[in-house]
Amino acid sequence: MLEVGINHYLILSAALFCIGLVGVLLRKNALVILMCIELMLNGVNLSFVAFGYYYSNLNGFIIVFFVMTVAACEAAVGLALAVAILKRFKEINIKNFELLKG
Amino acid sequence: MMINSAEVLFYILGLMTLIAGVGVVAMQNPIYSALCLVMTMIGISGLFFTLEAYFVAGVQLIVYAGAVTVLFVMVVMLFDLRKEVSSALGGGINTAAKAVGVGIILGLILSAISLSKLGTSTMPLKGLGASSIKEVAVQLFTKYIFGFEIISVLLLLVVVGAVGLARSRGGTHA
Repeated sequence: MLEVGINHYLILSAALFCIGLVGVLLRKNALVILMCIELMLNGVNLSFVAFGYYYSNLNGFIIVFFVMTVAACEAAVGLALAVAILKRFKEINIKNFELLKG
Repeated sequence: MMINSAEVLFYILGLMTLIAGVGVVAMQNPIYSALCLVMTMIGISGLFFTLEAYFVAGVQLIVYAGAVTVLFVMVVMLFDLRKEVSSALGGGINTAAKAVGVGIILGLILSAISLSKLGTSTMPLKGLGASSIKEVAVQLFTKYIFGFEIISVLLLLVVVGAVGLARSRGGTHA
């Protein structure tokens, strides 16, 4: 059990994903929700790299590269939206995102 | 019992990552959440190093622990976010239902991992080693060249879109 195999990395990845999911569902602050989405994406990245290492397949490493880029784009657009909402409503509660039309 | 240094490294980094991940969700102040996020990213980068994914680990440090976190911290510092701390958590039966749902998902994933035949080999089939960086570059610029170019278009689109959104006054369309 102490010997680290792919199962250990997969369990850690699942735990990170579920921590992020709890944050997305329970928090009301839109900034923290974006951070928790990053947490979920990183959990999935960890499982990709673990599979790529234990099965000697480079596709796992390359897909992580693409996921990181798309995640950075998503964070930039999400933060721009959060700033726009913050200017309009003077707070960043997620309930203000119900109606995105200005 | 012999304890390998790689195992010690895995447990230390994994514990650090999990504690910092819980901190992201549990901290009331968004700036502490952002700092916990940095710790999580550094821990995951270390885990990538233990998996010999050196290029991915470096990109993780630069892109996440560097750029994305700076974005978050800048937005947190631009605005006074202290007064909405009270609305951090919803209450009541709604919260309990969400927690139970996440618990069911976690149980499903863990049972799927334990039921699969993945755990039979603890050693990699064939070590990739330091040559993996060169191989990743070759694959990225031959087999995945189309995805690479599409990513560059996406980045340009996001730069224009983010500037346009952030420049608008009040509503989300100027």
